[in-house]
Amino acid sequence: MGGFRREALSGTRSVRDELSSPHLEGGCGRFGRDDLELAAIARTDPEAPVAAGLCDHLTECLICRTVVERFAADNAFLQECAHAAPKAPQRPERSDDGPIPGYHLGQEIHRGAQGAVFRAEQLATRRVCAVKMLLGGRFAGERERIRFEREVEVVARLRHPSIVTLYESGVSRRDEPWFAMELVDGERLDEYVRAHACTPRAIAALFQRLADGIAYAHRRGVIHRDLKPGNIVVDGDGVPRVLDFGLARDDGDAAFRPSAVGTTIAGEFLGTFAYAAPEQLGGDPTAIDSRCDLYALGVVLYQCLTGKRPFEGARSIGELVGQKTHGVADRPSAHNPAVDRDLDVITLRLLEADPARRYETADALAEDLARALDGRPILAREASLSYVVSKIIRRHWLASGAAAALLLTIIGASIALAFAYAKADRERVRSERTLSSFREAVGSASPESAAGGAGLTVEEFLELIEQNAEAALANEPAVLAGVLDTIGIVHLGFEDIARAEASLGAALASRRELHAQGACSDGELAESLHNVGRVRILKAELDLAEAAYREAIALRTNTYGTRDVRTLLSWRHLASCLRRQKKLGEATSLYNWIELEAQRTENYPALEMAAIINGRAFIDAAEGRHEMALSGYSKALDTIRTELAVDDYRIGRSLFNIASMEERLGRTTDAIANAQQAREILLLRKGGDAATVVQVETLLTRLRTVQP
Amino acid sequence: MDAPRLDLDRTTTALLTGLFDPRNAAAWEAFDRRYRPILVGFARNCGARDNDAAEIAQETIVRFVEEYRAGKYDRSRGRLGAWLVTIARYRLLDIRRRAGTARITSGERAMVDLDDERSLGATYEAQRRQSLLREALEELRTNTRTDPRTVKAFEMLVYHGLSTQVVAEQMAMSTHDVYLAKSRVAAKLREIVLRLESEYEEAPGEWEGSDARPSAGLAP
Repeated sequence: MGGFRREALSGTRSVRDELSSPHLEGGCGRFGRDDLELAAIARTDPEAPVAAGLCDHLTECLICRTVVERFAADNAFLQECAHAAPKAPQRPERSDDGPIPGYHLGQEIHRGAQGAVFRAEQLATRRVCAVKMLLGGRFAGERERIRFEREVEVVARLRHPSIVTLYESGVSRRDEPWFAMELVDGERLDEYVRAHACTPRAIAALFQRLADGIAYAHRRGVIHRDLKPGNIVVDGDGVPRVLDFGLARDDGDAAFRPSAVGTTIAGEFLGTFAYAAPEQLGGDPTAIDSRCDLYALGVVLYQCLTGKRPFEGARSIGELVGQKTHGVADRPSAHNPAVDRDLDVITLRLLEADPARRYETADALAEDLARALDGRPILAREASLSYVVSKIIRRHWLASGAAAALLLTIIGASIALAFAYAKADRERVRSERTLSSFREAVGSASPESAAGGAGLTVEEFLELIEQNAEAALANEPAVLAGVLDTIGIVHLGFEDIARAEASLGAALASRRELHAQGACSDGELAESLHNVGRVRILKAELDLAEAAYREAIALRTNTYGTRDVRTLLSWRHLASCLRRQKKLGEATSLYNWIELEAQRTENYPALEMAAIINGRAFIDAAEGRHEMALSGYSKALDTIRTELAVDDYRIGRSLFNIASMEERLGRTTDAIANAQQAREILLLRKGGDAATVVQVETLLTRLRTVQP
Repeated sequence: MDAPRLDLDRTTTALLTGLFDPRNAAAWEAFDRRYRPILVGFARNCGARDNDAAEIAQETIVRFVEEYRAGKYDRSRGRLGAWLVTIARYRLLDIRRRAGTARITSGERAMVDLDDERSLGATYEAQRRQSLLREALEELRTNTRTDPRTVKAFEMLVYHGLSTQVVAEQMAMSTHDVYLAKSRVAAKLREIVLRLESEYEEAPGEWEGSDARPSAGLAP
């Protein structure tokens, strides 16, 4: 096929009148009719072979293009007719010499990573069905084969309108496992929802049917384990049907895992994992029960309602695990205003990380969906809303309980980076195990858990995590370095400079060593250098800070280029460092240069832009241009106010800067008002002992002596 | 292979006119055979249980014929399908009201918002199209002079998803002839579909007012 332009096959609509005389059915004569038919088939089936030179010819020949279009229209029309047909008419006799004894395989319907699905006919009953062949899924031994067949037997007893019935299974003449199931002509659930522009109400109705089917299977002890839009088909009557029930396995038997857990393609890996419940990712098969299907259903429901998955931003498995376990998905209504509160609650209830907080059974879910559709109060609301709200509050509120949740989220993301691109499966499995054992260790240290944790301070909690991380990740220095780096950042957030220095310093030392062995990227090393630079600035070790930033800048420029948010961030920190070193001229021209580059950098964050303005205002203040400084601080505040919560600590800092300038300019009343606001925010966010709070308290005291 | 040129004025209202006469069993039967399955499927997709769907179809047909005879059905005010949907919708709402807030049965929940005219229309149109194609296929098999070998080759190709080569082998035809058979059947089916639609003034895609949009796969 190489070199052909398939676009030529999808030409513009043409005049069918051209074809009113039958002799034109063969086109202009340069290609045979068969070639033109195949070209028509290729418009929907990219596998169809197209004759050499035909694509080019079609761009030029109106007659042939018209013929191909007409054939394609015929095919689409006839397919539509075939779908509408109540039952297949009389079939021709078939011989039983195909790959599967007793079946005649027809057209291939679908081919995926783990196998192919064919339209087929069971010769004895003349029943038309679908046969799925698990390619490359040969049994390791007789035992596996018997187990496979026994499981299929159980699944084959399921009879429910929303479950695609499995008929039987076996082993092909080529020793490949296969199973025959009901043939459903329909659309994938997500495509159906999109194509029919289903309202949230219609979607809820579909999911009520699905929940019924899943509840039925669960009552018979069958868990799906791999629910996703590709496994749910909506048939011609609008009934959703679940495919492949009970055929996903989590015990390492890759041959029978349609989810293809062992795939080496990171994207696919993430794609499938997007639907997996957090407990499925922990690697402990005993932790998995029917509630993992409810989680998956929640992800699919979310996707149908909003067009996106709840945790879509994850770039790696680790990050996804972190988000799933500790993140809170946006309410579906945040993405689709047509979704009502009830559906919000039902969806988020399904997405609870803790299985105990989800619906207990699929029946309970079906009941709540029915209630939502009938306009009766749903049962999930009370418990769930308050829980979700409290979870969200905890996420933003830096009190000791909150620190746990925040920290674990960040750590989850950082662990991710360390093995996101693990190349071999074995490596990935090891990383998964590491993660789960680390989680266990961290879990026992959580102040939310009973184990003597209630009295822990944030600092003690962080320290406990650090110790546990060191023990759990002893054999994974790269992961450990990432965790230490993250913990250091959290310490910095609490202005605990000594602890931050210890963690970030250890992370940097470890990464330097790994970097020398080629086990740490330039980007990761630069990250550590940048973070250590931050500590050095806070410790007023400005020369050391400058050196760290310059090294980080070199690495980041090399890795990401100059016009990159990360590179420019290090530059801005360097400018701030120069300013503190009183190299004001150098700092000013650096700020100007950064601003210019930032304007040419795509998606440069507004907050960073505000920081540049703020930095220049500091220089103005230092050089006695108080009015200009005040104007700069005010401009910076206006910018960050559009980006941040009203009581973000950075707003507090900004108000403090403004109040300081107002003091200099003799505007005491304004200064007191702004300083008081700053004090409130900083006290809430940083705690009474933080250096900035002490600064603002001092300012207020000073101002009150002027104007009591 | 001339494209069918139907005399719409002559054929369109013939069947509907027959409904004026209570003794015109043929017209009744034809109307019923055409619309009952569509209405049953429509009602089911709107969330009615099987029993209710049958009842809704029955009541809708009766009510339509009453209104038609009373001269209330006005072509210019909407297509026939739109009339039927309007009637059926009231019956569906009745049933929903009767069921009150109690849960009807699991798995029989409304798939379509009864207040959303567009999705109601789309649901009806999908059912209508499906019934129409079934009727056309039935006619192709039983009532046309199309060569049985042509029909058989078409069925093997389209229904059984067999490849052109396999069909050619089994039917002792060339692949060229298999393709030809397919084209002939497609043309024949289109002709039947056009005629059936014109009988009830239900040209495809004319659901919303006069904004004609040809449906996929059908030659204009």
